[in-house]
Amino acid sequence: MKFKLFLFAAPALALYGGFFLLPAVQGLRYATTDWDGYSATFDDVGLSNLTAVVSNDDLFRNALTNNLKFLLVVVLGQTALALLLAVLLAVPTKGSRFLRGLFFLPTVLSSVSVAFIWKFVYDPNFGLINTVLDTVGLGSWKSAFLGNEGTAIFWVAVAQIWFHAGQMMIIYIAGINQIPPELYEAATTDGAGRWQQFRHVTWPMVAPATTLVIAYTTLQSFKAFDLILGLAGNPPRSGLDVLATRIYTTFANSQLGYAAAESIVFMAAIALVTYLQNRAARMAHA
Amino acid sequence: MTTFSRRDLLRLAAGTGAAALLAACAGPGGSDTTDKAATGNGLAGPREGDISFAHWRAEDKDVFEKIRADFTKINGKISVRQDISPSADYQSTAIQKLRGGSVGDAFTAFRGAQFLDIAKAGVSADLTGQALLQKYESSLITAGSDGGKQLGVPYQLVFNTPLANTDLIGKAGLGEAPKDWQGFLALADKLKSQGVAPIAWPGGDAANAGQLLNVLVVNNAPTDDALGKIETGEHKVTDDWFLTVLKQYAELRPYFQTGATGTSSDAALALFAQGKAALLATGSFQVAGVRKLGATFGIDLLAPITTTADKAKYEGVHNATFILGVNAKSTKQGAALAWLEYLSDPVVAGAYANGTAQHVTVKGVEYTNADLKALAPWLTRKTALAPRFQFTNLDVRSAVENATVQVAGGKSPEQAAEEAQKVIDQKKK
Repeated sequence: MKFKLFLFAAPALALYGGFFLLPAVQGLRYATTDWDGYSATFDDVGLSNLTAVVSNDDLFRNALTNNLKFLLVVVLGQTALALLLAVLLAVPTKGSRFLRGLFFLPTVLSSVSVAFIWKFVYDPNFGLINTVLDTVGLGSWKSAFLGNEGTAIFWVAVAQIWFHAGQMMIIYIAGINQIPPELYEAATTDGAGRWQQFRHVTWPMVAPATTLVIAYTTLQSFKAFDLILGLAGNPPRSGLDVLATRIYTTFANSQLGYAAAESIVFMAAIALVTYLQNRAARMAHA
Repeated sequence: MTTFSRRDLLRLAAGTGAAALLAACAGPGGSDTTDKAATGNGLAGPREGDISFAHWRAEDKDVFEKIRADFTKINGKISVRQDISPSADYQSTAIQKLRGGSVGDAFTAFRGAQFLDIAKAGVSADLTGQALLQKYESSLITAGSDGGKQLGVPYQLVFNTPLANTDLIGKAGLGEAPKDWQGFLALADKLKSQGVAPIAWPGGDAANAGQLLNVLVVNNAPTDDALGKIETGEHKVTDDWFLTVLKQYAELRPYFQTGATGTSSDAALALFAQGKAALLATGSFQVAGVRKLGATFGIDLLAPITTTADKAKYEGVHNATFILGVNAKSTKQGAALAWLEYLSDPVVAGAYANGTAQHVTVKGVEYTNADLKALAPWLTRKTALAPRFQFTNLDVRSAVENATVQVAGGKSPEQAAEEAQKVIDQKKK
């Protein structure tokens, strides 16, 4: 019986082993070499790649810093916006259904399309924002947006939030619709206003949805690769370089061994951030 | 019926894992991983079959399509498919695709790092001694050789020198191009006073922001291979000569368009084509793009001379990129060579040149395109081979080019140089 069960699982296990476990093990192996990705020979370098990534690589540190800034803005902004939209549109009316569809629309676009749209929005000379600012007499507020080294990553974060907030809104709407109406009736009877209802009923009851949204958004933020390449070109400038683009550039630079070491640190960073977020989410909903 | 206990299953999993580990440890180079030689008798192979021509110039697609159709009429047994990737992707991934052999029986390579990597990977078939080489200007195809072998033929000849709107430059009362840096700044001042941006510069575009570096370096650098020596550590970006380059970027700040560091290549092109900017700081490869946007003004090249007139060695910069090659991993090398031979014919090369507004390295080509004719005098002027492509390490190149963009964006030259040098020290060979 057990063997039959194993046979049922075998195809999935084979796929998992072939396409996840084996490459992961290979990645660990490559990380200890100086392999360029195409030569027939390489040298073992032990842990020197990993040591260099962690302690002597300003580009990687810069990419990690950019990624954390991006993550912070996207997680907070996207979660808050998605929850706000969900609360406002949870009641199924014709208007709310239309608006849900409208806010969800960016999600179905490709990253390249989104990059094109926001390139147009941010262009300093022909872009939508600067044109509007000029029109309303606020020309002094005009910006180079993606050309500002210190703030460029935040502008990309805005594009990312626009791209995916609608998707997260759907998750929240599903969560809100699971809340028993009796809880709101009881809160109303006790004299709770709308804010108090949200604070004491909605927010605790959507905790599972929040956990899911934050975890998913975190992964999205770490994997924001195509949007950044679309907006910034390849390789992106230091102000827009994140971990995924950094690893890609290293790979393109014919340093596959070093790219594998960067990938290991990348995975460790995702694991750590996800763990900390889960703890924080549990504390917030306790 | 055989039953498996949990322990048996764990043993099986452990065994499988160990085998996977050993397989992984064998790695690509753990044993003899030299790629198998392609079959098909190499370049002498049969001239038939469907071949893939891999390149990155989407703007040349229509011209190549016409050339391809004519080629198929003459060579009925060969059909050519264009596999076009965006230039940035091609830069990053072409070598991996070409090694597979299914894409790019005939292919192109960027000069510098990519060409050298492809050569090192054994992907370029050796064209030494092939008859088609006689059709090229020998002095213009050196970028296609490595280790004494001709592994490719640079096809295009571009000038990585700013394009100039001759109408606007004429209105500024310029009789001839400025011969020194002060003269260039004076011209920029005059243009600015006339209400146009003196220079449209795509500072937000990774691929094209660095083109301006070519012309700002060639006369400041102590040697022609100075940028390459930054990578090897023989020179530093904190050296006086490179600080001069960065300081000149700082001097150009008021003359770039608004938000230059965030401007894409398309937007800079549009500013120039619409007559809102007098110079486009990219190169002759964008002339066709400017015309596509409806520009009718005269176009010439105008490089800022960064020194005094007596110290200037070069009037501009050229580059021989778009290096044609035959994929050594292909089973259809004979057909791919036939395609390259066809492209090397002066009449066909002329059709490509006039159709794309690019000069070519093929001898005896007649340029009928008005812009090519106008820029033809530059073929005999003193221009340097673009130094930007001396970098073979993308991180080093990016560090240097980032420094120039940051200075244009307001950072002090000294600080930008110091930060860039720190990265270069970590990444250089």
